[in-house]
Amino acid sequence: MYKNYLKKFFHWKLIIAYLTAILGLTVVLTTTVGAAHIPPLVVLKILFTKLPLINHLIIPSWSIGEVTIILEIRLPRIILGVLVGAALAVAGTTMQGLFKNPMADPYIMGISSGAALGAILTIVFGLNIFGMYTIPLMAFICAAAAIFLVYNIASVRGKLPVSTLLLAGIAMTLFLSAIISFLMYTAGEKLHGIVFWLMGGLWGRNWNHVMMAFPFIFLGTILIHIFARDLNVMLIGEEPAQHLGIEVETLKKIIILSVSLITAAAVSVSGIIGFVGLVIPHIMRILVGPDHRVLLPSSALVGGIFLVWADTLARTIIAPTEIPVGIITALFGAPFFIYLLRTRKRSMF
Amino acid sequence: MQSVTLRINNIACRYDAANVLENIDFSAKGGDFIGVVGPNASGKSTLLKSISKVLKPHTGVVLLNERDVHTLKSAEIAKNLAVVPQESVISFAFTALEVVLMGRTPHLNRFEMESTQDLIIAQKSMELTNTWYLAERPIDTLSGGEKQRIIIARALTQEPRVLLLDEPTDHLDINHQIEILDLIKRLSKEKEMVVIGVFHDLNIVSQYCDRLILLHKGRIFAAGGAGDVLTGENIEKVYGVKVTVKQDDISGKLLIHPQRKRMIKEAKAKVHVIAGSGSAVSLMNELVDNGYNVSLGVINIGDSDYVAAKALELDIVEEKPFCPIGEKNYEKNLELIKQADYVILTNIPIGFANIKNLKAAGEAQNLIIVEKEPIEKRDYTEGEATKLYHELKANATLVKNSHGVLDTLKSMESGVNYE
Repeated sequence: MYKNYLKKFFHWKLIIAYLTAILGLTVVLTTTVGAAHIPPLVVLKILFTKLPLINHLIIPSWSIGEVTIILEIRLPRIILGVLVGAALAVAGTTMQGLFKNPMADPYIMGISSGAALGAILTIVFGLNIFGMYTIPLMAFICAAAAIFLVYNIASVRGKLPVSTLLLAGIAMTLFLSAIISFLMYTAGEKLHGIVFWLMGGLWGRNWNHVMMAFPFIFLGTILIHIFARDLNVMLIGEEPAQHLGIEVETLKKIIILSVSLITAAAVSVSGIIGFVGLVIPHIMRILVGPDHRVLLPSSALVGGIFLVWADTLARTIIAPTEIPVGIITALFGAPFFIYLLRTRKRSMF
Repeated sequence: MQSVTLRINNIACRYDAANVLENIDFSAKGGDFIGVVGPNASGKSTLLKSISKVLKPHTGVVLLNERDVHTLKSAEIAKNLAVVPQESVISFAFTALEVVLMGRTPHLNRFEMESTQDLIIAQKSMELTNTWYLAERPIDTLSGGEKQRIIIARALTQEPRVLLLDEPTDHLDINHQIEILDLIKRLSKEKEMVVIGVFHDLNIVSQYCDRLILLHKGRIFAAGGAGDVLTGENIEKVYGVKVTVKQDDISGKLLIHPQRKRMIKEAKAKVHVIAGSGSAVSLMNELVDNGYNVSLGVINIGDSDYVAAKALELDIVEEKPFCPIGEKNYEKNLELIKQADYVILTNIPIGFANIKNLKAAGEAQNLIIVEKEPIEKRDYTEGEATKLYHELKANATLVKNSHGVLDTLKSMESGVNYE
């Protein structure tokens, strides 16, 4: 009996190790796929030049153009895909746990509409303050502002009732959506750019975008992981959690702040990619169980893997035209999710 | 082991402007089993909340081992104090063992995994509450009673020095009720634990608690041994019913019986009520006020419904406290049901102890069922009650809450007249 239970921890480590390996493989494999035909072997060699110890063993046999395509176009986009996918999956898992609501997703606090408003304002008014980074920065600022407002609307005497938070988030989303709709209605020829941004995607992203999103996503994810066990206990209710020694109000603030940061960072560089944050957590809950100590890291890894493959399809399926990756994530993820729901006998929430 | 002390130092609590608690002052030491009683809204739960740091008292302090709980970290409190709530909602698919192990949370460092030692403590608690065989079962597949015993096991896994109980046995069958109370009583002595429990049933408190606190409108009305607190005079003042207090011949503990208070008026129709746990107190009053000839049964002596029915001078088929319905009482009840023009079944949990009431309800001429929540949620008989209930439901009139009963009765009666 005890052995069985303690073996669980070993299984968790195995799961994380496997998923990490798959993620590594995913990055390498998807780098070989693309519109420009570069032999996979060459791609691998170019990648390996960036690895320490073995890089001097490789004899260059490629053009500078190929290096640029691999290292400056494909790789940053893939790394960003990993970051965004992981961020959305972690944020979704956390929000569903904290709100005890299967419908919760990373955007539930009005982050998406805040970010969208920022991006659309930039597009419609042709703002150009930080060059090509104006859109992500504006999106981040407006998302942060939306969360700040929702948070303050919902807090009552220093406490943060989750139901109020949920409703405040919905109210904020509705309000901002109205403004967004108005802007789109009057956008004229700029409408295409808006729609493309709203659907989300990773096209044309470079290392600067990665560097912009990385610190927030990395720190936020670490912070949430630190509180994994506390999130488990929160599932039994706030008052019982407090009786088990959780500082409930502090925890909620830390968690909301972390989720907001990583989601805002993800949205600002990739637009609103749906589905990943809602469904990856559910899939992982079915596969590895409800314990956040394994659920969070495995969701992060699978979120990254899933988004990178989805994006690879998005950029190759009708190349050279790109499809917004949100279309791919839902098109392939939803049927799989439905399959899991149907084959599973017990309810998951 | 250092002995534990708990001092409630003249606290007052407020929600908005209204005082909910005032001048509450008492202390407890290891081994004390204190029962808190009082009518609804007398401040019982608020008292527990202010002890467990959920609610900060407006004035006064709660001292746990001479330290103000509101300056302590939650984890520090949780190492010493556990709470068993009235009802727990755990909908995620954790196993029972995992839920019990959550009780180790305050003892573990942030990145520490549960060790064999923690598992041993969890197993011991589960064996004590007779739930070890449920260890691998997902918590959301357990019945209400099983879940409550798991929650008690979780509280014990915290290895608390103080245990707070908020009507902990409300959802339990009589056998488990007694089992758990016996266990808690024993632990309070063996582990020198302070136990403070809120209870509805005066007979339970008089049986198990060393000391009682009778709350009335947020103040301590009386405190001390059962003999001093549960006097006829006190109960009448606080609950507004006349009772006789007798000593049980066997245990020497007190038994509380409500007395008859007034005669029933000339009645229009006979209504029989099947209730329990105080679910029909206001309903029976309403019915009597409207001139119906009301009877109640089968009901355990000491239940709030029993107390109310006694006060209203109704015909009652009564069963001894904690006992399942006996054959004789079942027959008596059946007779009343057959005679009644209408039978009302309130929204009660059904266990093996009272399932005979469901069987008897099948004989009703006109059955009205009050259904606030589906039977599946309050079935403690592994499906037997659910089956019976659905058969009953097929031939019954359904109402959402007891306030709707009177209107339904009236419309049914007028329907009868027109025929």
